[in-house]
Amino acid sequence: MQRRSDDHLVAYLDGEVKAEEQREIEAWLATDPAARERLAALSESANLLRLAYDEVFHEPVPDRLIAAARGETALAEPSAQVLPFKVGQVASRETATRPWWMGMPVAASVFGLLLGGIVAYFGVAKLEPGGTAGKQPGVEMAAADDVWLENAAGYFKLFVSAGDGALIDASASGDPREALQKISQSLPQEVRLPDLKPWGLNFRGARLIVADGRPAAQLVYTTDNKAIGPLTLIIGSSKEPDISPTLARRQDVNLLYWRHQGRAYALAGQSDIGYLWGIANDVAWQLDAI
Amino acid sequence: MNRRFGDQLIAVLPRLRRFARGLTGSAVDADDLIQAACERALARQHQFQEGTRFDSWMFRIVQTIWIDQIRARDVRKEDGEIAERLGSDEPVRRVEARLALDEVRRAVDRLPPDQRAALLLVSIEGLSYKEAAEVIRVPVGTIMSRLARGRIALQQQLQAGGGMRRST
Repeated sequence: MQRRSDDHLVAYLDGEVKAEEQREIEAWLATDPAARERLAALSESANLLRLAYDEVFHEPVPDRLIAAARGETALAEPSAQVLPFKVGQVASRETATRPWWMGMPVAASVFGLLLGGIVAYFGVAKLEPGGTAGKQPGVEMAAADDVWLENAAGYFKLFVSAGDGALIDASASGDPREALQKISQSLPQEVRLPDLKPWGLNFRGARLIVADGRPAAQLVYTTDNKAIGPLTLIIGSSKEPDISPTLARRQDVNLLYWRHQGRAYALAGQSDIGYLWGIANDVAWQLDAI
Repeated sequence: MNRRFGDQLIAVLPRLRRFARGLTGSAVDADDLIQAACERALARQHQFQEGTRFDSWMFRIVQTIWIDQIRARDVRKEDGEIAERLGSDEPVRRVEARLALDEVRRAVDRLPPDQRAALLLVSIEGLSYKEAAEVIRVPVGTIMSRLARGRIALQQQLQAGGGMRRST
């Protein structure tokens, strides 16, 4: 009987009991202090359990596992390092040792990424005023992704170039939730804030942007960890089908983008790919966007 | 290789590593297990059904390989030794507060493998009882039972070792 009672407490704690059983358990708890004590102890041990393995989740994934996931087992060697981007030119060591807000001029390419993307979007729209009929879905999806990614990279570079604290519509200095509420008022869906402090990333604020011709929120995070650097997370809306996190690169900006249930996400930064994957996974998990 | 499949696989690696670390109790063994799981997943990617949960599919592969490994190593004997140690009068080592989480991991290591897997999938990876049952390929009632026994054993071990505040 004791064991059965505790079985029910565990299921109750996990939210795995039906409504009627839940009422019965709550009535039992209301009259049995010992049961309440056992429930509290079980709850505490569950919290400790989650904490005990949390650090594993936030470790950079070893490159041998990333290589294995790509079927590149021949390259697999035990190592704690993450796999850096190999496409194009990754930021040099000299650049990486500088403070991130220095030495990054506002290049015309930034505006090229932004304006080019917007022009491309309207260009497509003009060609197809009646909608999307007549185009191959794959081509359309690639075009939409391209505009979205160009914009996401452009806004990241714009933030980096403009300097610390600039270009923030809603600062995190007060209540971050309040900042997000302001942004959310201009978006079709409410935006939630992922907590990236376990990665050493501090939320600096948010701004309202236009990506792929639609309003979106750009959440800005900064860190002293140069291996990660500043990151921005863009959350917008999309009518395209869901896709899993996909890697892309625009100029020297690494992007991970995905879509889930009408929302489009793009994590942009100049950090190593291993970190980006881990952070994107954390974001998706926290926002129920996976 | 299907690139999208590889991207999906990379995206779940942090969770797979966490799951494997809990199963094996060793960072090296966990990563070896995940590497083997990646290789098996790539070899069998045609078996994955689009529209189903990719993470659950991968958890199942990790769990299956791990079970194969512990069978091969005759872990039954090791479990017996562990149970014997727990049943002895060996004083439980008190750890400092900052090592409390190490104690939690050790407590998890002491659980029987079936309880450990259920606990990790539900309490850490957030799977429902039904999803965990599909991963381990047992009835939901079995998951419920293993989970309850595992949670209660874990709580008792932590209380005995001072990893939790004692209930007053």
